[in-house]
Amino acid sequence: MEDIARAKTVEDIRELRSRLLGKKSELARSLAEVGKLPPEQRRIEGERLNRHKHLLETALDERERAVAARQLDTTLERERIDVTLPGPAARVGRHHPISATIREIVRVFAGMGFETIEGPEVEWDYYNFEALNIPRDHPAREKYATLWVSNPLGDDPQRPMLLRTHTSPMQARVMERRQPPIRVIVPGRCFRYEATDPTHESIFFQFEGLAVDDRLTMADLKGVLYSFARQIFGGDRKIRFRNDYFPFVEPGADVAVDCFLCDGRGCRVCGHSGWIELGGAGMVHPNVLRAVGYDPERWQGFAFGCGVERLSMLRQGVPDLRAFQQNDVRWLAQFPAVM
Amino acid sequence: MPVRWLRDYVDIAVPLEELARLLTMAGIETEIANDKADAWRHMWVGRITALERVPQSKHLQLATVDYGHGVRQVVTGASNLKEGQVVPYAEVGASYIDGKTGERATLKPTKLLGVRSEGMVMSEKELGLGEDHEGILILNGQHEVGEPLAEALGESVFVCELQPNRADCLGVLGLAREVAAILGADVREPALAHSVSERAADFTVRVEAPDACLRYDAALIRGVTVAPSPEWLQRRLLSVGLRPVNNVVDVTNYVMLETGQPMHAFDRRQLGGGTIRVRRAAVGERLRTLDDVERILDPSVLVIADESRAVGIAGVIGGENTEIGADTRDVVLEVAKFENRGVGRTAMRLNLWTDAARRFSWDLSPELVPFALRRATLLLREVAGGETYAVIDVYPERRVVPNIRMPFTAFRRLLGVELPRDLVTDALRRIGCRYAVDGDLLVVTPPPWRTDINIPEDVVEEAARIVGYDHIPLHIPDGELMLHERHPDVEFRERARDALVGFGLQEVVSHALIDPDWLPHVRPDGTAARPEPLRVTNPTSREQSVVRPTLEPSLLDTARRNLRWASGVALFEIAPVYLPRRADLPDERWTIGILLAGRVHDAPRTWVGGETHTYDFFALKGIVERLADALRIALPELEPGDPALHPGRSALARQDEQVMVRLGQLHPVVAERWALPGETFVAFLDLAFLASRQVPIVAELPSRYPSAYRDVAIVVDDGIGWARVREDARSAAGKTLADLTLLDVYRGPQLPEGKKSFAMRLTFQSREATLADQEIERLVRRVVSRLERALGATLRA
Repeated sequence: MEDIARAKTVEDIRELRSRLLGKKSELARSLAEVGKLPPEQRRIEGERLNRHKHLLETALDERERAVAARQLDTTLERERIDVTLPGPAARVGRHHPISATIREIVRVFAGMGFETIEGPEVEWDYYNFEALNIPRDHPAREKYATLWVSNPLGDDPQRPMLLRTHTSPMQARVMERRQPPIRVIVPGRCFRYEATDPTHESIFFQFEGLAVDDRLTMADLKGVLYSFARQIFGGDRKIRFRNDYFPFVEPGADVAVDCFLCDGRGCRVCGHSGWIELGGAGMVHPNVLRAVGYDPERWQGFAFGCGVERLSMLRQGVPDLRAFQQNDVRWLAQFPAVM
Repeated sequence: MPVRWLRDYVDIAVPLEELARLLTMAGIETEIANDKADAWRHMWVGRITALERVPQSKHLQLATVDYGHGVRQVVTGASNLKEGQVVPYAEVGASYIDGKTGERATLKPTKLLGVRSEGMVMSEKELGLGEDHEGILILNGQHEVGEPLAEALGESVFVCELQPNRADCLGVLGLAREVAAILGADVREPALAHSVSERAADFTVRVEAPDACLRYDAALIRGVTVAPSPEWLQRRLLSVGLRPVNNVVDVTNYVMLETGQPMHAFDRRQLGGGTIRVRRAAVGERLRTLDDVERILDPSVLVIADESRAVGIAGVIGGENTEIGADTRDVVLEVAKFENRGVGRTAMRLNLWTDAARRFSWDLSPELVPFALRRATLLLREVAGGETYAVIDVYPERRVVPNIRMPFTAFRRLLGVELPRDLVTDALRRIGCRYAVDGDLLVVTPPPWRTDINIPEDVVEEAARIVGYDHIPLHIPDGELMLHERHPDVEFRERARDALVGFGLQEVVSHALIDPDWLPHVRPDGTAARPEPLRVTNPTSREQSVVRPTLEPSLLDTARRNLRWASGVALFEIAPVYLPRRADLPDERWTIGILLAGRVHDAPRTWVGGETHTYDFFALKGIVERLADALRIALPELEPGDPALHPGRSALARQDEQVMVRLGQLHPVVAERWALPGETFVAFLDLAFLASRQVPIVAELPSRYPSAYRDVAIVVDDGIGWARVREDARSAAGKTLADLTLLDVYRGPQLPEGKKSFAMRLTFQSREATLADQEIERLVRRVVSRLERALGATLRA
């Protein structure tokens, strides 16, 4: 037993086990001889030897566990490293905040049954304006400072080509192609003749929503945008509609959400008004429905449009719109890699 | 819009902030400002605490002024100052009107007779308040020292952003009607001349372009005395930044500001003959306009003319030849409704957006014409003594004021809420509509000044905005379940985006409009790109004047800018390029652009070890191949050599003559031109082409039997590419060859000149059984003998 207590390694114990309990051990020999004893003695001696064997086995097992545990501790200690050292560099790719924001937007609207579609960025005057109840020389065109395009393969003066000033042309295009019910969301690049400054870019991204069926109302429009605002800005947000004019909707509205930073009390982000403008919206104008061959007596719907960068600026505290298309990798690296 | 002027027509019983909010909510975005906040920056209410004579001067005095934020000494020549008086004080840096020249000037510190003067005490004229320059403006005791002068003496103004359908609000009176509607107040209408005269004028009006001039009223006013306007009129014009001219011109401007209706006064004597003609200009017709510019006109321009010549550009500006002068006695006053888009076109073409043109380019009501005329003739009598002798009204096609018939259910149908009927009718009454209720039917006649209410939807909007959009509840749309598919191209593009991000590339989004000089710069020989790109005809700048037909220059530019501070970049962009098509919109082809440049990791070597190294062709190709793996597409066979890239380190694939995939090292000439490192690699992949090569996915279970491999090295001529070896080996081995991996490429002293060796690992596996050694050896021999026969390869010992 003392030998067992002195054993230092698992190997020592293995050796002891063989010496004390192995085939050639004293115990094994004694057990073999028990059979030769008279029956009475045989039982007593057998019981004694087995007790002894059990005692030794238990002691060996116990010692082995203790020794193994100590040996493992030693090994682990030897393998200790400085875990505060940095890991090797790996290039982390990132989505651009514009495409990440668009993805988030379409995901929210997908949950409300809106399908994502896209349209051409170089457009006919017809879809950008005429089909949207903005005939040539309409004063509202001033709001949409247009960049006009010339085709090197020949221009048709009757059919001016332009860089779309909003994503709204897809309203007309999708209604021309389909019958209600329609629920679509159209993200995309837009262009305006605009001097560039921290809040203006001549090239920017918008998303357009359009829903048409036989019963959609302004209350539905409000509900959809309310749900959107809460999913983007958080569950405490309120939404505000005020009257506004866009020739392709009637009634028209400007949509704002109460400021997520100051809860509507007024701060720098919301320009001290408590409200953050999201975009324009309204009920699709009967003239727009007529232009695509819909019967305005039968179908009605709503449309809305909003800036993509604006959402990102608000949520990620981007102070300058121009940063989005300057693509300084140091700036881009501040956005999360996983969207 | 000065609030004081607004109060002439409507009582404002709520705080201005509240009114501004209500106007904004009802559709006219309104902010409150101080009319002098800008002009009177750096000006304060100050007190004269001491006054002494300037030595050696008869009339100059040195005044010590406490303006609440400091004490300054100023030299002044004014004689009306006393100690203790409260006066306007302007700091150095303030902008004021020079009393002698009448020009705007910026205040600088000066020295007069050796005495320093820091700032000024101001006269009325210097403040732009009036003509008095004799004495300093003395303020009464209501103003606190240190208060900004604009707050003490300025006026509150509303800054309104009008929507272009609200032409009725282009005048103060129109805005007053809107305010009254919102507040439920009454409008005090301005006084009008009673009626028109029965006498015949000594001229007639002939509208020769009735499509462009819908109504033309002219009044002959006799016996005016042209003189400066009375003070109240001058002040009103000054308060909105208009320069008073003389009483006749001032009245036309005043009535325009008041009613929104522009008008023009001609000197009767200068109008030749007995006819005023409203006609299109002749080709090359000339007119010197009131801004002293000789204009050359064409038939797109509508002019007002006498019998022999043009005397004004309709709706835009008058001619010099009929200008009101000091000796004008008889005036012809023109008030008209010109077709608004025509005026807009002319103003745009002449780049002459006068106050009149801006208003005329909106759809003003023709009903405003006689109203404004009666208002103006009344004022002309009051301020210029002119008697209205005769009035002509040419109005061939009267505007039909619509009677809008609609069921009351229209409100619920559009708004999703039942508005109480009395709320609706009250709102309509407030904005000036007349209406009749016939059971469930509502018949609405909009007020004569509103041209934008024509259909039931307009009426619904009017009622809703007066009642308040807050009354519209929130509702989530119900109805049919939409059945639609996710767009396969969009889905594919998003997967490509995720894959490239996963490979560690940074996505960029760059301008779709580029500098035309960039296009030849991406070509080694610097020649122009073919085909020609689309051009912006009215670009904001040359740098954004071409609609990009390729992503290449944008990526090079982005890399160049980032490499100023980084030693390496790995970028990609997914965006359309725009390829012109005859008589159609351009083909917008979504393209993946990838760029690798410089060092692989933008960091020095670190304790983890590993030298940093620069990107090479195979780093780029690896990304393209892994992208193909990730998207499950079969990459096309690549032809070596893209002439626009490094010819020996590039490859491309075409479909129907169009290049669909190109990748490689930048041509050294191009790299140098863009100040990029030699190790710059780009790839451009047509997204629709890639999508068309998607491999149908059949996810087979792996074979249950073990695989075995053999490594083989062969020697071939240096000119033989790996792709040929790979294809021959594959076809010789058949489908039992599960994988073929290139282990090494060797050229060197152990081989003869002009030879190289490929070492490859052939991995075999069967789906039916464990492969016997003899079977594997047989397949290896087949591969080797095929390579020997087809490529002249020899087995390397």
